[in-house]
Amino acid sequence: MPGKWLHSAFGRYGLATSLVLGAFLGTYLQRAIFATPTYFFFYAAVTVTTWFFGRGPGWYSIILCTLVVDFFFIPPLHTFVKSKEDIPFFLFFAASSLAATWFSSWRQAAEAVLQSNVEERTADLQREMAERRRAEEAYYTAQSELARVAQMSTMGALAASIAHEVNQPLAAIVTYADACNLWLSSDPANIEEARAVAERIAQEGTRASEVVSRIRAMFTKEAQERVRLDVNELIVEVCSFMQAEAFRNHVTVRTELAGDLPPAIGDRVQIQQVVVNLILNAIEAMNAVTTHPREVVIQSRQQSGDEVLVAVRDAGVGIEPQDTKRIFDPFFTTKPRGMGMGLSISYSVIESHGGSLWATNNRGPGTTLQFTLPTEAEVTRLQERERAGKASW
Amino acid sequence: MVDSDPIVFVVDDDASVRGAVKKLLAAKGLRVETFATAREFLGHSRPADAPSCLVLDVRMPELSGIDFQRNLTAADVHIPIVFITGHGDIPMTVRAMKAGAVQFLTKPFRGQDLLDAINEGLVRDRSARRERAELAEIRTRYDTLTGREREVLNLVLSGMLNKQIAADLGASESTIKTHRGHIMQKMQADSLAELVKMSERLKSSLPEGTLPATRAK
Repeated sequence: MPGKWLHSAFGRYGLATSLVLGAFLGTYLQRAIFATPTYFFFYAAVTVTTWFFGRGPGWYSIILCTLVVDFFFIPPLHTFVKSKEDIPFFLFFAASSLAATWFSSWRQAAEAVLQSNVEERTADLQREMAERRRAEEAYYTAQSELARVAQMSTMGALAASIAHEVNQPLAAIVTYADACNLWLSSDPANIEEARAVAERIAQEGTRASEVVSRIRAMFTKEAQERVRLDVNELIVEVCSFMQAEAFRNHVTVRTELAGDLPPAIGDRVQIQQVVVNLILNAIEAMNAVTTHPREVVIQSRQQSGDEVLVAVRDAGVGIEPQDTKRIFDPFFTTKPRGMGMGLSISYSVIESHGGSLWATNNRGPGTTLQFTLPTEAEVTRLQERERAGKASW
Repeated sequence: MVDSDPIVFVVDDDASVRGAVKKLLAAKGLRVETFATAREFLGHSRPADAPSCLVLDVRMPELSGIDFQRNLTAADVHIPIVFITGHGDIPMTVRAMKAGAVQFLTKPFRGQDLLDAINEGLVRDRSARRERAELAEIRTRYDTLTGREREVLNLVLSGMLNKQIAADLGASESTIKTHRGHIMQKMQADSLAELVKMSERLKSSLPEGTLPATRAK
């Protein structure tokens, strides 16, 4: 390899020799043309040798140059007789060589400083980038947690309030039943009291069912806000919210939103909750997918003039055909830690808005969950009709 | 029912729970009084001699049960509390138990569990009342001591001999002996050891500085 040869001692000294030879030829030719020799070429040879090949070859070329000059250009010619004129040459060659050495090491030092600066800056940059990456991770994790908590706390608060409300009549029922037992176990058994208590039990049972109805009423038209919704904007907002969760699960979320989507009417927070719920379900459906990209596609388009349709498609495990309706039942879940509330609540929300929510398996892998919402125009039309209907009474 | 029969107070904002607990306790022959709010309970006069127990719902609109527990302790009302709740998160349970609650039950609870807790509460209340009565008795006896007798008592309790006390107070030894006799009599103590026990109980129940301070030596 030429490089290796160049760096070997043989290479360096060899080249030094050829440089001196070159210098000799150059001087010879120059003398042939200009009579008085100048020894520029020898100075160049020495300098170049020292610069490129180091001090050893440098000294070698100084000596060689001196000898050649002495032999070929200083009288008596073609002899190695030492004369006074030798010394200045030797000294000047040495001086140029030293100068070359000095400049070379100065340049090397400068290069070394530059190199270390570059390395330092690179290390700093890498550290900053690592910091930034860490901060981004933390931000995304926090965002994802927020989305989760937002969903969970609504669900959580709901679950807690349901629990509390239902536990009251239940406590009364159990306590009455125990009281009943005591009355019957006393000696003599107090049938009258036992009967009274049994009646109370029945009443409490009714009250418990009323509690459940009250909770379901939360999701009816009367309890909801009715404002104009830009469904596309809502979806984009939810997507930015869910970015972190998707990122964490190596899922990409893509949107195909119709540009001319008419406004819908509904409760903004509740519809957002529904979209969050659908996306979360889509992400979780793809948890075990490894053979194809994990992608969630959200589409929006106008449907049949009076409805807005939103579809959330995943490439996950899909749903058993017999479950496509059951997934909307409360407490239905295929997840080990799932509460089974999300889809049933989403279903209630959409239904109470006058829309529908349903699930279909894709032709490819995965499921698509779609829901419709009436457009603002449609809602207005319905209200007019109602008013007209009432007026005709 | 006699006024000194045990009585259970029930505070819960849910009417059905109040009614059911009343029926349960009635079946056991216990006196019950129910209230919808803590305020109502506080406003109601309680029999002084009846061992009592309070069944309290933790989460009520006006005042949370835990805060109420704290208020009672601060107001020097010592009534054992059994908490009942429709929720039941762990931190609340720990806080309540640490603050001295008898028990913490979540709805729906079995009647027997509530009765057991109430019984324990009543037992606690009986022994607490007994203690308070004994302490009051000691206090009454202490109040009959004259100023001089109290000084002597202090020095006796610090372990000084009659001779030393006499020197300290500038009286004769026989005077000190007489004082000592009176003290034992009034306090109804049979031995110095008993006197010490009584004074310890007295000291730990009173605020700082109530007993005359030991004279600087």
